[in-house]
Amino acid sequence: MSKTKHYWKGIEEKENSPAFIKQKEKEFSDFIPVDEIFGKQSKNSSQTPRRDFLKFLGFSVTAATIAACEAPVQKTIPYVIKPEEITPGVANWYASSFFDGTDYCSVIVKTREGRPIKIEGNKLSKVTNGATNARVQASVLSLYDSARLKKPYKDKKESSWEIVDKDIKDKLAALAGSNGNIVILTSSVCSPSTKKAIADFTTKYPTVKHVTYDAVSYSGMLDANQQCFGTRVLPVYHFENADCIVSFGADFLTNWVAPIEHAVQYGKARKLDSRNKVAQHIQFETNLSVSGSNADFRYPTKVSELDAAIVCLYNALAKKEGSAALKCNPVEAKVMTGVEKTAERLWANRGKSLVVSGSNNAATQCIVNAINYKLANYGTTIDMNNASMVKQGSDADMAQLVKDMNSGSVAAVLMYNANPAYSYPTKDFENGLKKVKLSVSFSDKMDETSSLCNYICPDTHFLESWNDYNPQTGHYSLTQPTIRPLFNSRSAQESLLKWSGNDQDYHSYIKANWQAGMFGKQSMLVLFEDFWNRCLQDGVFIVESEIKPAEGVVAPAATMDIQAMATQVAKASEGKGKFELALYQKTGLGNGNHANNPWLQEFPDPITKIVWDNYVTMSPKDMDEMGLHTLLGQNEETNVVKLTANGFSVSLPAVPVPGQKEGTVGVALGYGRSKSIGKVAEVTNGANAFSFASFVNGNIQYAALNATLEKTEAVYQIATTQTSHTMMGREELVRESTLEEYIKNPKAGNEPEMVSVSEDIDPSKKLPSNKANLWEDHERNGNFWNMSIDLNSCIGCGACVIGCTSENNVPVVGKDEVQRVREMHWLRIDRYYSSDTTKENKELGVVARYAAMEKPSMADSLEVMFQPVMCQHCNHAPCETVCPVAATSHSSDGLNQMAYNRCIGTRYCANNCPYKVRRFNWFNYNNNDKFAAFNPAQQDEFSRMVLNPDVVVRSRGVMEKCSMCVQRIQAGVLEAKKQMRKIKDGDIQTACAQACPTNAITFGNSNDKTSDVAMLKEDPRQYNLLDSYDTQPSVFYLTKLRNKA
Amino acid sequence: MTLNFTLFRKIFQSTLFLLLLNIFFITALYAADGEKLFKANCKACHTTTSAKLTGPGLKDVEKRIPSREWAHKWVHGSQDLVKSGDAYANKIFQENNNSIMSAFPALSDADVDAILDYVKVAAAAAPIPTAGSANQTSVSDGTTTESGIDTEYVLMGLLVVLIILVLVLGGLKKTLQDAVNKKHGLPTEPDLGPVDSIKVWFSRNKRLTALGVIVVLLWGMKGCWDSLSQIGVNQNYEPEQPIAFSHKIHAGDNGIACVYCHFGAEKSKTAGIPPANVCMNCHKAITSGTKTGTKEISKIYASLDYDPNTQKYGPNKKPLEWVRVHNLPDFAYFNHSQHVTVANLECQRCHGPVETMDTLKQFSPLTMGWCIDCHRTTEVKMADNPYYEDFHKNLMKKFEAEGEPNKKITVETMGGTECNKCHY
Repeated sequence: MSKTKHYWKGIEEKENSPAFIKQKEKEFSDFIPVDEIFGKQSKNSSQTPRRDFLKFLGFSVTAATIAACEAPVQKTIPYVIKPEEITPGVANWYASSFFDGTDYCSVIVKTREGRPIKIEGNKLSKVTNGATNARVQASVLSLYDSARLKKPYKDKKESSWEIVDKDIKDKLAALAGSNGNIVILTSSVCSPSTKKAIADFTTKYPTVKHVTYDAVSYSGMLDANQQCFGTRVLPVYHFENADCIVSFGADFLTNWVAPIEHAVQYGKARKLDSRNKVAQHIQFETNLSVSGSNADFRYPTKVSELDAAIVCLYNALAKKEGSAALKCNPVEAKVMTGVEKTAERLWANRGKSLVVSGSNNAATQCIVNAINYKLANYGTTIDMNNASMVKQGSDADMAQLVKDMNSGSVAAVLMYNANPAYSYPTKDFENGLKKVKLSVSFSDKMDETSSLCNYICPDTHFLESWNDYNPQTGHYSLTQPTIRPLFNSRSAQESLLKWSGNDQDYHSYIKANWQAGMFGKQSMLVLFEDFWNRCLQDGVFIVESEIKPAEGVVAPAATMDIQAMATQVAKASEGKGKFELALYQKTGLGNGNHANNPWLQEFPDPITKIVWDNYVTMSPKDMDEMGLHTLLGQNEETNVVKLTANGFSVSLPAVPVPGQKEGTVGVALGYGRSKSIGKVAEVTNGANAFSFASFVNGNIQYAALNATLEKTEAVYQIATTQTSHTMMGREELVRESTLEEYIKNPKAGNEPEMVSVSEDIDPSKKLPSNKANLWEDHERNGNFWNMSIDLNSCIGCGACVIGCTSENNVPVVGKDEVQRVREMHWLRIDRYYSSDTTKENKELGVVARYAAMEKPSMADSLEVMFQPVMCQHCNHAPCETVCPVAATSHSSDGLNQMAYNRCIGTRYCANNCPYKVRRFNWFNYNNNDKFAAFNPAQQDEFSRMVLNPDVVVRSRGVMEKCSMCVQRIQAGVLEAKKQMRKIKDGDIQTACAQACPTNAITFGNSNDKTSDVAMLKEDPRQYNLLDSYDTQPSVFYLTKLRNKA
Repeated sequence: MTLNFTLFRKIFQSTLFLLLLNIFFITALYAADGEKLFKANCKACHTTTSAKLTGPGLKDVEKRIPSREWAHKWVHGSQDLVKSGDAYANKIFQENNNSIMSAFPALSDADVDAILDYVKVAAAAAPIPTAGSANQTSVSDGTTTESGIDTEYVLMGLLVVLIILVLVLGGLKKTLQDAVNKKHGLPTEPDLGPVDSIKVWFSRNKRLTALGVIVVLLWGMKGCWDSLSQIGVNQNYEPEQPIAFSHKIHAGDNGIACVYCHFGAEKSKTAGIPPANVCMNCHKAITSGTKTGTKEISKIYASLDYDPNTQKYGPNKKPLEWVRVHNLPDFAYFNHSQHVTVANLECQRCHGPVETMDTLKQFSPLTMGWCIDCHRTTEVKMADNPYYEDFHKNLMKKFEAEGEPNKKITVETMGGTECNKCHY
């Protein structure tokens, strides 16, 4: 199968222009920005005479020699009184919970000497099941962000808590006395104690109203559920129970509703189990999303037709059922075919299917509910009896609030976890805020909203705070501080309590709440202290009695007029322009909350592989028509286009994305943040796309149907990792097959390459290439560390990339250096597009066929594959043989080891590495001023605390690469030795394996025949990258199977 | 923890000698019994001086208490006395933060008397710790005065003597030659001066000169090589510490186990410098040192903002800044627990005879070669640890196949000299 396909990482690679070939031959750009390092004057003005030069040379050699002789005196400072729980050098782990109003995740936090340094998933949680995503992994760096406010602010000037507290209390009392409206504006709150604190505040000031507003709203779904089921909540989805998953524009794997939960469930659904079953995934979408990339069938659909396609699907199912059809706008023929095929598949999987939509139109969501009801999915894949609390915002409430603010009827507004000045579609919020007498922000940054407020009472970071959460019915979790507050900040809840006249700290407040509420919901533990400690230790507390059985839902259709809904949907989809704009959230940056996090800014977007920038994604065909440059490469400039929609326009570079629906463009939200939120945001370009959103049918739509595009004269340089470290067109990288063929032949798509052996033996005989071996094998007497990567499970989300960055002190190099192919990530995720070259096109003739195949616009059946690539730890490593100083060598337990201190930087190893996984360290990223803005994790006095003390911060001039988290291996082995036991499978996890939400990465000792990795090594799908090179890597892959049935 | 109170023993012995000459002859006999009893029962909380521990110092106690009978009652059960409303009992109970003194009903009245006698004797003999006494001997004094003259000076002296000898002999030779020449009527050799004569010697002995030059060059190169290889090696580094802490007194004389203070060694990568609160486990009671009196110990108190008289901690704590003796570079990962807990190595194996050092010095070179040497020769005790089971089986199979069934399994055999066992 794979033989008939052509794989390419970027259009430029596919076209293989001479310029690109020349460029990719150079793995390392040799350009060194001398001017930027020495400043401008060095070039022209200053001159060094030869004699001076010699003098300096002599002097510095002598100085260096003398300096080298005397070791500096190093101080060692012990604790005065050592905290009982800390042993210097031993990590402590605390269970906690992450919730930023968008993502919820139960986590465990690794601390060293009282500093949080790494976040991992909490396996005890039945909500997130030990999974994380890139944003959660990166949140530890945000703790040390030195741009966080260090004090409360009054009228934009630093103030003190005493003054701020007194002022606000007085003003609130005065407002409450005069019956002035006070509004607490928050993003979704799923913390019971926070809700209680707000309730207490309301008791004290009866005019308080609580408005919930989510930056990216799910109000339409909530309203739909209100209409259908009478409760304004989101259901709990169970993708793992679905055999057929259909999504209309919902990127449920990285952003939609509860992406971490969905990713775990999707991983289970897509793992090939003993029944040889893999869930089928069908996606209708405009932009190419991570979820869409994983789909077995993907139908590029215009934004305006997405909702109509849902109605068509309803009609197709109604036809099968024999019930009445709805009024429906026509959709494109290709999409219609897709809808009909999808209806077939869904009908066949009734009760085991799931249809979701990313639309924020309540009417559309009502029809989606009706479809799911028709398919009997409630009770199996959708649990409406239990609620997911992570999204609660109401667009109608927010619109009303903005109206009231502008009419001057709101006297005070207190904002927690909400930044509407940035994310509200219109300027009305900002204008209204000016009319409010008392505005208080709890933001920990001088952001768009807080900079407009009278008072800023900075909230603590989640790693410094206490909190509790109730993300789903019956599931509770706690947040506990892992470090004292770094700055003079105070949790928002404590501020609210204080202003309601309660001087209790938030910790004891939560504890009292739990004693009164949670404690009685269990009978295991008799003493509250024991119960509390248990909950803190576990991080989670599950109340089984609150969790209702999923079965039995009232028919939604009975309570609403579905025909009217269809009419509304049809109306909302009218008025098409030349282009349609679909706004989306990036996997790393999301809604822009974490825009000042350099790890997330340098995290390559899973689809475009672009870092540090916002851009317009376009179909290459449209770009060709407009005469825009489609070949990006590293040093190619993109054309800037002016995008206008909904009376707002921005100029952004245009980037080709082969999966983009023709006639549509995509722009990511989360960019264009205020420069005052930090240095990283300051150096990031891009515009705020929230302004393109608009209210339709009472809810915010993240799309515009009337967009126009203009080509401008400007060109812009973007940085992409798309074509860096390409494997130079070597074949046999990705292997795939279909489920059908796999059932017939488990080795389908994974046939070994045969090579002829020496002629004098037997010219007719051929051997599998990996059996033709010139090397001696290593002995493996002890452990043999192996890693398996299941391409069927990998969704390309990139949690592993950030997990690795955090664990291994990987420097951030900034956009400029990424342009020179110098990104330092030890782990990259290669994204391959593939287009079919099967016989269907044969009639075109060879040249025409290839030409046709290479026009991505023709590739409606475009397929995408993700492949995480790190050092393969070859047992016959090409790098080891060429190192002149033996800095890289092989260990007895199967690792390719790199001794940085021995490395002299010849880069021979990288040149000889067929996988291009070695990274050369060009600069002292940890103290070169050029990187101060991007690389605070190694330079900023606060952010440096995030460094893992067990891993060296590499210096200039050495090669570095994935070590398979050898520090974790060593720690795990030592623990087993100390406890005098064998290593258990799962004791040792690499950072990437641990971060993976879908368990695509399995690490273990393959000499232990009972281990998971040993079994996967025997799997018929197992293959090595570039098998014919016979490098015998310790990392192996499992072929991807698509469910094309 | 075994504390060997040599200080007290010495004091007592000398006191006893004095007392024999004194009129307190009989009292002292009681006191001998009293000493034992005092040490067994009272010493944990009381001193014989006026210094306060948990309880008050007992110097001149008899002058303060109402009577010996009162003391008997107090010792047998102080709380009964307090509750009975006894004025003095209540006074001292309050003075000592209402901390209840343990009752000693087993001590007879005679025992209590003996203790009181001993306290009287001991208090009279105890040296008064003053600031001056701390200056008596600084801890490092004992170590620096070793042999009289350094060998280097001897050699240099010899060299000077030899040079003079050579010059004298040269002069003598020349005089004799002149005399011989004169006798034979030959012209005297011109007086060339020292430099020219050396030049002449070189030109006459070319082979020897060449050989000499080569030897000197080689010697110089070796010197360069040796000194280069010593860069960054700080063996015998013996810095002055902020507190004249003596490992000899603590680990040697008093036999305190290393891991009592360096508790990280068994479970962490670092052995750790003990925090000041660990010092206080003993130094709450031991307020005065053997050699330095209160001078050095008071630095611990200063760090903790602790007042030994009121036994209260203040808020102004500041950490002690010790000078780090053993500095492994950052790129080398070393884990104490691997060596102490798993391999069961003695601390002295790397740190040397710490228990004999007053000022700590770096005993081992801590070079990579030194690490590797040990890893190459140290045998791994595989039989005791199930972790190694499979490893052991596989290796034994291999050794038997190779015909060396008794081959040693060293750390190196296990991969213990591979780069990323220590560098990552």
